[in-house]
Amino acid sequence: MREFITGNQAAVRGAIRAGCDYFAGYPITPASSILTEFVREFSNGSGIAVQTEDEIAAIGQCIGAAMAGARALTATSGPGMSLYSENIGLAQMGEVPLVIIDCQRLPPATGGATATGEGDVVFARHVTAGGFPLPVLAASDAASVYRLTYRAFDIAERLRTPVIVLSSKDIALTRQTVNLDLVELAPLTARRRHAGERTFRPYAVDRPADVPAFEPIGGATRVRFTGSIHDEDGLLTIDRARIARKLTHLREKVVANAALIEDVDADLDEKADTLIVSYGTADGAARDAVRRLRAAGEHISHLTLYSLWPIPEKALAAAAGGRMRRVIVPELNIGLYADELRRVVRGAAVESVVRYDGGLISPQALIEHFRDRNAEAVR
Amino acid sequence: MSLLTAVRNDMCYCPGCSHGLVLEQLAQAIARLALPPPRVCLVSDIGCIGTADRYFTCHTFHGLHGRSFTYAEGIQRVRPDVLTIVLVGDGGCGIGTAHLVHAARRGVPIKVIVCNNFNFGMTGGQHSPTTPADALTPTTPAGFHERPFDIAETARISGASFVARASAYDAGLPGLLERGLRAPGFALLEVWELCSAYFVQSNKLTPARLNELAARGGMPFGVLAEPPAGDARPAAPSSPADTGKAASDETVPQPRGPKLPWPGRREITLAGSAGQHIRTAVGALGEIAVACGLHAAEHDDYPITVRKGHSISNLVVDARPILFAGVEAPALVIIMSADGAARVGDLSHLPSSSQVIVASDLPPPATPATVHVVDLDAFARAATRAGVALALLAYGVVRAGWVESEALCAAADAVLSGRHRESNLSALRAGVAAAAAQSPACAASTAGGRHDP
Repeated sequence: MREFITGNQAAVRGAIRAGCDYFAGYPITPASSILTEFVREFSNGSGIAVQTEDEIAAIGQCIGAAMAGARALTATSGPGMSLYSENIGLAQMGEVPLVIIDCQRLPPATGGATATGEGDVVFARHVTAGGFPLPVLAASDAASVYRLTYRAFDIAERLRTPVIVLSSKDIALTRQTVNLDLVELAPLTARRRHAGERTFRPYAVDRPADVPAFEPIGGATRVRFTGSIHDEDGLLTIDRARIARKLTHLREKVVANAALIEDVDADLDEKADTLIVSYGTADGAARDAVRRLRAAGEHISHLTLYSLWPIPEKALAAAAGGRMRRVIVPELNIGLYADELRRVVRGAAVESVVRYDGGLISPQALIEHFRDRNAEAVR
Repeated sequence: MSLLTAVRNDMCYCPGCSHGLVLEQLAQAIARLALPPPRVCLVSDIGCIGTADRYFTCHTFHGLHGRSFTYAEGIQRVRPDVLTIVLVGDGGCGIGTAHLVHAARRGVPIKVIVCNNFNFGMTGGQHSPTTPADALTPTTPAGFHERPFDIAETARISGASFVARASAYDAGLPGLLERGLRAPGFALLEVWELCSAYFVQSNKLTPARLNELAARGGMPFGVLAEPPAGDARPAAPSSPADTGKAASDETVPQPRGPKLPWPGRREITLAGSAGQHIRTAVGALGEIAVACGLHAAEHDDYPITVRKGHSISNLVVDARPILFAGVEAPALVIIMSADGAARVGDLSHLPSSSQVIVASDLPPPATPATVHVVDLDAFARAATRAGVALALLAYGVVRAGWVESEALCAAADAVLSGRHRESNLSALRAGVAAAAAQSPACAASTAGGRHDP
C-alpha cells in the first residue's frame, strides 16, 4: 500500500522487519524521531527502547544487548557519531552484530541541526582507530532507508560487525510516497550458532574470512567478550602470530565478503561517454537529470551507490570502464567521495559537483554541469 | 564452586596489590549465591582490575574505560535473569561518572564493585579523581589539592538501593559483597585498596592507615544505603512486559480516496511563521494526494526552536514517482508572514507561469510570477485562524487550475481522519469556495496585485 512517511519512519519499519528488538539512543536532530518511533513501537512489549544519558551509553547499551542476543540498533547524527567512535572500535574488535544509522546534518561540530549535509561519508568508514573495514550503506530516499536498514541487520549478523547506514536530514525528515510492500527484501540469514561437542571458543574461525559462531551472554554456553587483542578463546594475547591472525580476520571477513555488501543500481546507456555516480540525497536529482537529458536526446549513464564501503569497485569498473570519458559525482559535501573514486576509476575524469550550504543539488545544476563541460570539451 | 581459575598469587597483580584478595572474596560471595555460572556475567572495566575477567569462568565482558556500566545495562535489560556484575576502578568511575550516576538513578539492577586504589596503577600512578588530599603522585608532585571524588556517596544520592564502603582488609568485606550482590536494584560497593607499585610507594599507605584515611577524609566505612525491609522499589524496566505481541512492520491500512487527476509535477512552497500550522496543512494535502493515487514529497525548513521563527513547508505532487524531492522553481508560492517572506527571499527567478499568493499586510514581492494578494483575516473568518494555511493551499491549487474544486473536496472527505478531520475539511472547503468566488479573469492579476477574496 502506498504511504506518505519520513525516512526515519521507514528506518524503524525496516529495522523491525529485520527483527530488531533493542534500540537505545540519545535525542539529536534529525535522528530523534527514530527514538520516539521505537518507544511507541515497543510500548507493547515487543522490544526494548531506551533513551540514555548520552550517545556513549546508547551505543554501549546496544553492544551489551547485542552480545546478550538482541538485534540492536542505535541512531544519531554526526556529533553523536563522534561520540560513538570508541565503541564502534569495540564492536569491531569484539565482533558485535550492530546496526548504526547516521542521519547526517550540516557538519562539522554542532553544524546545522536543521540543515542538510552528507559530510560523514568518509568519516563513517574511518570513524574508529585502526582502519579496519566497516560496511557503510547509503540511503537516498525513504524506500531505500527501509531496504538498507533491513539489509544492514543481515550484513551485521552474517559478518558479526557493526554496519553503518547513512541517511541525512532531507531523507530522515522528508515525507515521501513509498510502497514498502513492493520493496524486495531477501530472506534473513540465520545466525551461525555453536554446534557439536567441542568447547565453545568465542572467536574461533577456520579461515580468516570466516565468521565466528555466535552464542549469547546469558546462554548455557560460556561467552568471553573482549575489546582487547585476543586469541580465539577471547583471552588477552601478546602472541604475535595470534595477533596477526585476529587482525587479518577482521580485515578479511569484510574484504572477502565485499560482494555480500555491494549494493548498486546501474542504469547504463551503451552509447554514453558520461556517467553520473551518485548516492544519498543527490541521487534523486541525478535520476531526474538523467531522465530529462535522455528526453532531450542525450546519452548518459547513471550508477547509484547504495553501498559506499567497501567501495563497490566491481560495479564501478563495469560502469566507468570502456568508452566512459567523464564521471560526474554530485555530493552534499566538499567532494569527499569523488576523491575516493579517483583512486579506483581509471581512464575517465572524475568531476565533482558539490554543495555544502545546507541546500540540495538540483537536477538543473547537474544538467548545466553536464552541458557546460561538454561545451568546454568541444572548444 | 569457585568461578576463579587462578589463586591470588598466580594472578597478574603486583605483590602487595589488593586486587587478588578482593577477587577471591568476590568469587566466594558469588559462589554463596549458588547460581550456575551461565547465570552470572562479569563486566570488567579498564586498568589493572579490568584484566580480571580472564580469571572468571562465568560469562565475561571486557569493554572500554568507564563504559562498563552501559554494557552491563544492555546485558541486564535483555537478560534480567543474569546477575550482572561490574568490576571497575576509581579511574573508571571518574571517566564514566555520568553512566554511574544515571544507572543508579534509573535503578538498573547491576551490582558494581569499585576497586579504589586512589591512582592509575596501570599507567604509572597518576592521580585519579579519588586521590586523597595532599597525596603525592607523578601528576601531583606538590600534593593533590582537589577535593576527592566520593564514589559511594555519589551513588547513594543518585538513588542506588544498596551502597557500602569498606577496606579490602576489612573482615566484614565478604558479607558486604554478598549483601551487595543480593540487593535488589542498583548496588555499589566501594572497596579501598592498596596499589603497591605506585601509591603506597609515595604515600606510606598501609591496611591500618586505610581506616585512618576514611575517618580523616569524612568517608566512613560501612553501609551507606540499603533497601528498607520489604522494599518493593521497582527496578528499572529491564525487560518488556511480555504481552505476547510481536513488533510488526505491517502497513496500517489508511483510507483510500478517489483517483485525483493532476496535471504533472507541481512544486508548492508554503511560507509562514511558527504557529501558522504550515507543516500540518502541507502534510494534509500530501496525505490526500498520496491516498488518491498521486505521489508526494514534503520537505520542511524551520529553526530548531520550533515554536518561533519561520516555518516553510515544500510539497511536490506528481502523478509519476518523484525522483527529486526538493524544490527547484515552485509553481505556487504562498507567503503568510514576514518571517516566511524573509526566508523564501528573492522570487525574481520564478518563471512567469508561477503563482504567488501573498498576505495583504506584506509588501508584494518583485517577481515575474502572477501575484495574488489575499486578506488573511478574511480567510480566518471563513476557516478559523488555525485553518488559514490549509485554506490558502486549497485556494492556490484550485485557482491554479490543477485540480477541480469538487474533486479536491471529495478526496479530502474520503481521506482526512483523526481529531482534526472536521476543522481541516472546513478549512479546505473555505479555500475552495474562495477560489470559486474569483472570476477566471482574476487569474490575470499581475504583480502589484489585486485583493482576493
